[in-house]
Amino acid sequence: MSLFFQAVMVGVIVWVGFLDKAFLHTFIYRPVCVGTLVGLVMGDLRTGLQVGVSIELMFLAVVFVGLAIPPDETLSAGIAAAFGCLAHSAEIGIATALPIAIVGQMFRQTRNSTIYEFTQRKVEQAAAKADTKGIILWTSIIPSIVEGVLFGVPAFVAVYFGAGYIQSFIDFVPEVIISGLAVGGGFIGSVGVALLLTTIKTKDAWPYFLVGFFFASYLGINMIGIAIVAVVVVAIVYYADKEKLKKAGGE
Amino acid sequence: MSESKKITRSDLWKSYFYSLGIESGCSTTKQEAPGFAQGLIPIIEKIYPNKEERAEAYSRHMELFLTEGRVAYYCVGVAAAMEERNAMEKDVDPESINAIKVALMGPLAALGDSIIHGTIRPIMAGLACSMIATSNYTSPVGTFIFLGVMTTVVMVSRYFGIFKGYDTGLMLVSSMQAGGILDRLTKYAAIAAFIVCGGFISSLVWSYTPIEYVSGDTVIALQDVLDGLMPQLVPLLYTLLMYYLINKKKINPVLLIVATMVLCCVLVYFNILA
Repeated sequence: MSLFFQAVMVGVIVWVGFLDKAFLHTFIYRPVCVGTLVGLVMGDLRTGLQVGVSIELMFLAVVFVGLAIPPDETLSAGIAAAFGCLAHSAEIGIATALPIAIVGQMFRQTRNSTIYEFTQRKVEQAAAKADTKGIILWTSIIPSIVEGVLFGVPAFVAVYFGAGYIQSFIDFVPEVIISGLAVGGGFIGSVGVALLLTTIKTKDAWPYFLVGFFFASYLGINMIGIAIVAVVVVAIVYYADKEKLKKAGGE
Repeated sequence: MSESKKITRSDLWKSYFYSLGIESGCSTTKQEAPGFAQGLIPIIEKIYPNKEERAEAYSRHMELFLTEGRVAYYCVGVAAAMEERNAMEKDVDPESINAIKVALMGPLAALGDSIIHGTIRPIMAGLACSMIATSNYTSPVGTFIFLGVMTTVVMVSRYFGIFKGYDTGLMLVSSMQAGGILDRLTKYAAIAAFIVCGGFISSLVWSYTPIEYVSGDTVIALQDVLDGLMPQLVPLLYTLLMYYLINKKKINPVLLIVATMVLCCVLVYFNILA
């Protein structure tokens, strides 16, 4: 496949990801999905998966809370996975992921406080006239095009025009950085898991952390097995609570 | 009497699809308001015969609205029920419709953020990542399982939100709060999340040190010593350190990611890690 076609496809994948964020929310916008799709399009599934998984782990527990906009994982995964595939090096992808995520964050912030302020005013005008076509036009159709222009097109440009610079970038980066980033990829999961731990509301359930750790690290149970352990424990606690409530109600 | 109900199930299904755009065109000042107004189009068009009333209703829903996009469907259902009552019986103060939406925003956001984005999504994503890593980055099956499960979760929670919201209205939230169901749900989510987080350490974090102690013919590898002490000791300690820094010292996670990468480059340079 020609580079032009591949770059167009990466742009389309990123655009689809942003549409998913706004509409269906099937989570196709997550790095693990974007990385897989970009890997397939670029003809290097392995690198695509590696970059997708690494970025997914960085953003594992980043929760969009209230007004704050986190670094953007979708644009980052799309472009970084494509760079990784072009260089056949997951480390190159991982190295470029964070800067792109910050650029994506800035784009989104600007978009919400300029373009979408304007479209929202248009929706208000349509609402005041009970004009349903106007509401749909300015809520769904125009913003969909904006997402494509703001994120799909830059992804295409970055991949198509950036491809030529990747080899010189690899030559420029010393070997120790490349292997350091590979080792760092193994540690990134720590930040993701730690973030996930901070979002847990009921802190006094912490002993269950050791249950999970024991089953996985000592007994070598895989993640599906751990999910089963979690279901069993939650069920036991649920029935115990039910019994307790019944007794409390009886008295 | 038969006049008091005008919204049918198919109207609610239409509203289901119109509400998919709840996070589209989300501006800084009004957030999800445009999406909310769009979601109510099938309802408002049906119940208000004259244009002035419709315009008033749409404008009413252009006030600031912000909650997690999937559980927002519950608000759409409640708003539909209240708009219907307003149109048919005229015994609802229209201002109260917005007041109730505002009252629901906070608790619903907490529920949706912690259960969907804080528990199910990271658990399924971590599961997908560990499946991909176990296949040595050759099989994308994990990705498709992740997509399949998450699509089901969001579609079904939207369905329950809009239909339950319309049927039971505010009774559901108040009965959930009275019965302590919300607190218990949070507790169960916490238990599941802790177990899975503990399990993630071995599949999502890995480290290897090439340091060896050589004395005559005996070679003692530090990695073997560490593994004998406790498997995954270094990943566990590093995760707990990250938790401490994020939770107690309030350090930005992005900074920690950068610091981790830099630290690893330095340690690789000195042959402490490989």
